[in-house]
Amino acid sequence: MTTSAQTVAVPARARTATATATVRRKQGFQHGGWFVAPFLALFALFVIWPLLRGVYLSFTDANISGDGASFIGLDNYREAFQDEMMWDALGHSAYFTLLVVPCITVLAFLLAMLAHHIEHGKWLWRLCFFAPFLLPSTVAANMWQWLFTQGIGLFNHTLGIDTPWLTDKSYAMLAIVIQTLWWTVGFSFLLYLAALQGIPAHLYEAAKLDGANAWHRTVHITLPLLRNITGLVIALQILASLQLFDQAVVMMDFGPGPELSTRSFVQYTLEQGFTSYRVGYASAMSIIFFVLIAVVALARMWLLRTREEGTR
Amino acid sequence: MGQPGLNRRQLLATLGGLTVAGSFGFAALGTGADALASGADTRVRYWNLFSGGDGYNMIAMLDAFRAENPGTDVKDSTLQWGNPFYTKLAMAAAGNRAPDLGVMHMGRVTGFSPGRLLDPWDVDLLAEYGVREADFNPALWRRGVIDGELYALPLDIHVQLCFYRRDVLKPTGLIGDDGKLVPVTSTAEWFDVLKEARKATKKGLQTIGLWTNDQNFQWWFFVAFYTQLGGTWFDDTNTEVTFDTDKATQVLQFLRQHVTDGYTIPGAPTGEQFVNGAPFTWEGNWSVPVFSGAKLDYGATPLPPVFGRQATHAESHAFVLPHQAGRGGAANDGAHRLAAYIVRNAQAWAAGGHIPAYTPTLSSPGYRKLQPQNEYVSAMDHQATEPKVWFAGSTGVLAQDLGPIVVSSTMGSAEPDAVARRMKSRLGTLLAAKNPMDGRTAAQGGAAA
Amino acid sequence: MSVISSTRTRPRSRWTPGQIVLTLIGTAVSAVFVAPIAAALFTSFKSEAEAAEIPPHWLPEAWTGQAWKALLDTGNITNWFVNSLVVSVCVTTIVLVVSALAGYGFARTEFRGKHLLLGVVMAGLMISPAVLGVPLFTTVQQLGMVDTYWGMILPQCAPAAMVYILYKFFQGIPRELEEAAFIDGAGRWRVFFTIVVPLARPSLAAVGIFTFIASWNNFLWPYMVTNNPDLMTMPNGIATVMNSYGIQWAQLMAGGLMAGLPLIVVFVFFQRQIVAGVAHTGLAGQ
Repeated sequence: MTTSAQTVAVPARARTATATATVRRKQGFQHGGWFVAPFLALFALFVIWPLLRGVYLSFTDANISGDGASFIGLDNYREAFQDEMMWDALGHSAYFTLLVVPCITVLAFLLAMLAHHIEHGKWLWRLCFFAPFLLPSTVAANMWQWLFTQGIGLFNHTLGIDTPWLTDKSYAMLAIVIQTLWWTVGFSFLLYLAALQGIPAHLYEAAKLDGANAWHRTVHITLPLLRNITGLVIALQILASLQLFDQAVVMMDFGPGPELSTRSFVQYTLEQGFTSYRVGYASAMSIIFFVLIAVVALARMWLLRTREEGTR
Repeated sequence: MGQPGLNRRQLLATLGGLTVAGSFGFAALGTGADALASGADTRVRYWNLFSGGDGYNMIAMLDAFRAENPGTDVKDSTLQWGNPFYTKLAMAAAGNRAPDLGVMHMGRVTGFSPGRLLDPWDVDLLAEYGVREADFNPALWRRGVIDGELYALPLDIHVQLCFYRRDVLKPTGLIGDDGKLVPVTSTAEWFDVLKEARKATKKGLQTIGLWTNDQNFQWWFFVAFYTQLGGTWFDDTNTEVTFDTDKATQVLQFLRQHVTDGYTIPGAPTGEQFVNGAPFTWEGNWSVPVFSGAKLDYGATPLPPVFGRQATHAESHAFVLPHQAGRGGAANDGAHRLAAYIVRNAQAWAAGGHIPAYTPTLSSPGYRKLQPQNEYVSAMDHQATEPKVWFAGSTGVLAQDLGPIVVSSTMGSAEPDAVARRMKSRLGTLLAAKNPMDGRTAAQGGAAA
Repeated sequence: MSVISSTRTRPRSRWTPGQIVLTLIGTAVSAVFVAPIAAALFTSFKSEAEAAEIPPHWLPEAWTGQAWKALLDTGNITNWFVNSLVVSVCVTTIVLVVSALAGYGFARTEFRGKHLLLGVVMAGLMISPAVLGVPLFTTVQQLGMVDTYWGMILPQCAPAAMVYILYKFFQGIPRELEEAAFIDGAGRWRVFFTIVVPLARPSLAAVGIFTFIASWNNFLWPYMVTNNPDLMTMPNGIATVMNSYGIQWAQLMAGGLMAGLPLIVVFVFFQRQIVAGVAHTGLAGQ
């Protein structure tokens, strides 16, 4: 509401001011804040406040009903660091990340190369590789839960095998990885495709004149030029994969998977908060997770910076 | 761009504007489309967790209720059983947007913080609608009473059963003259039975379905056999763990042996196998309508007393009133009327395999004639239940913690004796843990009502 | 993204042996990618008994629309569809308005504490409901917005990433364009609406498309904040509310397609814009 009132008020004031650009820019000093105000209000309420509140709650034994929390110092953190289940869950998320990130990066690159170099029906390849990404996570997970179900599932049937994908702890996480590859590779594929199409054709033509074959052109021109985008794809994938939740819980019927083998960090945190009602403890784990994510993100920024300095 | 294009653009813009305006209007109204469409005087929102055969029967009972009470609109929602259900029910109650009526497992009620997440029943109002304490097994009724108030109105008791295919087992001599499975009194006898049964089993099928990698079923089976051995969990004051690792090891070895001797195929879908001709399967009594529906020639007994004493795992579905700040009025009255109606008219429910809690139904000749219900109704007297602590109950913290540990033994990824010790140490941790709802441990009466 | 659309202007290609091999590979890979969706579609036209048959088969032996009919008869799915639409449209609208204003504010206006605030917003890129779900839930609980549309909508409306993308874009607009307008006597807001916003249309479209997809498909947050099945969105309802007859695969697949197909159909028609939008928003993170 404030903003719309402002739209009326400001031009009126502006008209009386001296008509030079520099003065206009100074004027921005007065009301520039109104441009960012709506966003900042939402941001403060739904990002900053929950973060601060999470820190506060993590020092209490708050429960889901929201009353009667008392301050318990570092007890939640102490408990968390000794909680084998939490470390197991973190291990599952890390294992998933370790499997998914390299596979998706390579696969996305190959698909992009394929789509880039086929000259007929480009829209069709793009549609096919990207379509799964447009499905809601739960829908994509339900489809694969059904494909993987022993007996009635088409996955085993088509390959002529009888693997207990969803019910054996040595396969369950692999099943989720396969599902995730299919479902999300389209996004990274598009990023690679856009980057490939941004490479000027004359670079290849010059190399062709020098007698470089397709393999050499890929290794010596394409790959180095895609280094930045690869870094981006890997970083985005790491952050997304560490936050594994949707597809794992849906494929495992909201359980922790066979012998707890697919319970991710996010899932364990939410279980503590919403199933065991331990909001304080869950908040402590959320903060630990936030720090972990921040470290990954900062590490990426640091890597980028050192690389830039190196190339300078 | 020519005139037609401009028109199209205007049309699109208008449509877009209308969609945006409509969406904001809808969001501002705040109720779902269904609530808007409902024209009834009273709308009772009722959440349950019944799928499969139970789902059919519950809907049939609801339809009957609707036909008799045209002024009351019942909006029933079935949520996925287990964690999502209890999580959503708790969060709805905590957020003060709870449904008018809900279903819970009796074992969960004490840990569900009666008074905070649950509201007590108006017993007089229930009596008005024909449901009185005198019509229930006293012990069962008492399980729903906490601090003198009734929080859970029992609907049934449900138990774990040993289903067997009469037609498949006929040639083996394991079926007596009365058409029932021969009695078994020891583990050795039980494995002899399985050995015989295997001979009659078609290729590609397992001899028995055991839900080997399901943490809930494995936990329920464990509780049943551990109780058969006379095992205990905690002392009377809930201060000390009395869990007997030797007895637990025995039970775990027994469960494991089904896998090592090849009587069960880990991960094979149990129900489908049984329907296709596997001679045995251990399942909850809720599978009765599935198997009856498939027109199988089968029977069902409580889990075999292989450790010398009858006991099978039992739980109970109960109606609860999730906490609403302003509970009362027509919707609350409707919730009482609906719950009372279903409890009293649970004949169809009993046909679905559950043992009815309402004694007039239980003792009716109609129920006594039901097959195979009359074969396992005795389970009522040999219930193996989880300890009465706040972390117990269907898919509760206890089951979630110990279930996967039992599975790891049955599946062979851990040794039974090591698993038994791990269970004991987990039990110790849980006993020391505080109920997050009231900050009290089990010993402090965290929920020992 | 102009680089993508530029592919159209390439000279017509010939069917060289290399192209034939590549096309064959592409066809095979595409088949693998499409197969699960096709299987779901076929299964939705099976009877429930056929959908659970062992061994399974791809095509229905007896085509039937029972799953779709049952799905629509139950009514939940249409409710959820409306809810999804309401939530996604509101989120997209609010995000577009709010992040365009903020992006411009950060890029072109001066106010006290701007750089600090910008830094804070960038740090916000790391926070999502998956990371801070429980504290976010208790915040929304405090506001009394559990099980409301606003509880679902508003927390999705503070995406630091979108502000960042538009911030980058607005930085790239030549200042001269604005300054000319200032000299003509236009105020800051008029310049924003008449000059900057029209220039930013492609970027705004990209942000809008990406936001709509993300919101339509969002599961975790609606899952946490809605318990009332009347208010659930499609992804949430399909996953947590089953109809009362147990898992019925044919119906589940039909429901999933109802949730997923609208975006895929839209994609077929607006492929270039969507591809550009996703690539644009993704690449902006570089």
